Amino acid sequence: MPLINQKRIKVSSEIPTASMADIAFLLMIFFLVTTTFPKDRGLAILLPEEGVEAQVSQSNVLHLIIQPNGIIDVRRGESQQVQQIRPQEVEAVWRQEVTANPNVIAAVKTHPQAPYRYMIDVLDALHAANAERISLQILEE
Amino acid sequence: MAIRGSGFQRKSRAASDIPTCSLADIAFLLMIFFMVTTVFQTDRERPIVWPEAAAAEKIDEKQKNILNIWMERDGGVFMNDQAFMMDEVSDYVGPLYGASERALVISIRGDREVPYTYMDQLQKELVSAGVVRVVFAAQLEQSMQRERR
Repeated sequence: MPLINQKRIKVSSEIPTASMADIAFLLMIFFLVTTTFPKDRGLAILLPEEGVEAQVSQSNVLHLIIQPNGIIDVRRGESQQVQQIRPQEVEAVWRQEVTANPNVIAAVKTHPQAPYRYMIDVLDALHAANAERISLQILEE
Repeated sequence: MAIRGSGFQRKSRAASDIPTCSLADIAFLLMIFFMVTTVFQTDRERPIVWPEAAAAEKIDEKQKNILNIWMERDGGVFMNDQAFMMDEVSDYVGPLYGASERALVISIRGDREVPYTYMDQLQKELVSAGVVRVVFAAQLEQSMQRERR
């Protein structure tokens, strides 16, 4: 390129700032609209109505008795045979039970001194196994 | 006042339009002020250790229809930042439940080590208040933790 004909290039060296506020607004409105607050999580149950007691045949009840040390005694209906399992095994036991008898109801009986988390573990396992009919009770001595 | 067309009319030197270049700054300032000073109407968290559950689902209800009942390790009951005796719970929850047209969801936030006898008393109180929908609040347990346990 010949040096004589070289022209000064008339490009502004500044970044245009006039639209900065618009861009900031646009971003802010975008984030305001798309923000969702985290929802609380939990295990949902429906409590029974007061005074309504459903009569259930003992043969349809699976008793899950939670001991203070976290061991679960499983008793089927009226049989006196007790099987001791850990909370992780509840899901498998429940699935087995449902395939044998679709009308089965889980009666979760927790010892008064047992920590709440053992009950949550069992309820969690029952929810994971899609159990619909759960009765939460306290173990009466 | 000058008569129009008289030739003596002087042009006013003051700009007749409002300067708009700082408008965006003012709007930002106001917006940030309100964002910082806004507080959402929620109760303060109580110091509890959350239980964990892998099957914990999101509570499908509007935030204003959820009442948190905190249950501390020693059996203390808190609702809306107030301490309650166990037998006062149904007297407090009952009217709230009626006012929400039976849409109220109770979120029980219990400490993982609280003895179950307190939980049972709380559930009996809620039954006598006529509440149906109850959620045992729990943190989502990751499957990795479950295998390690």
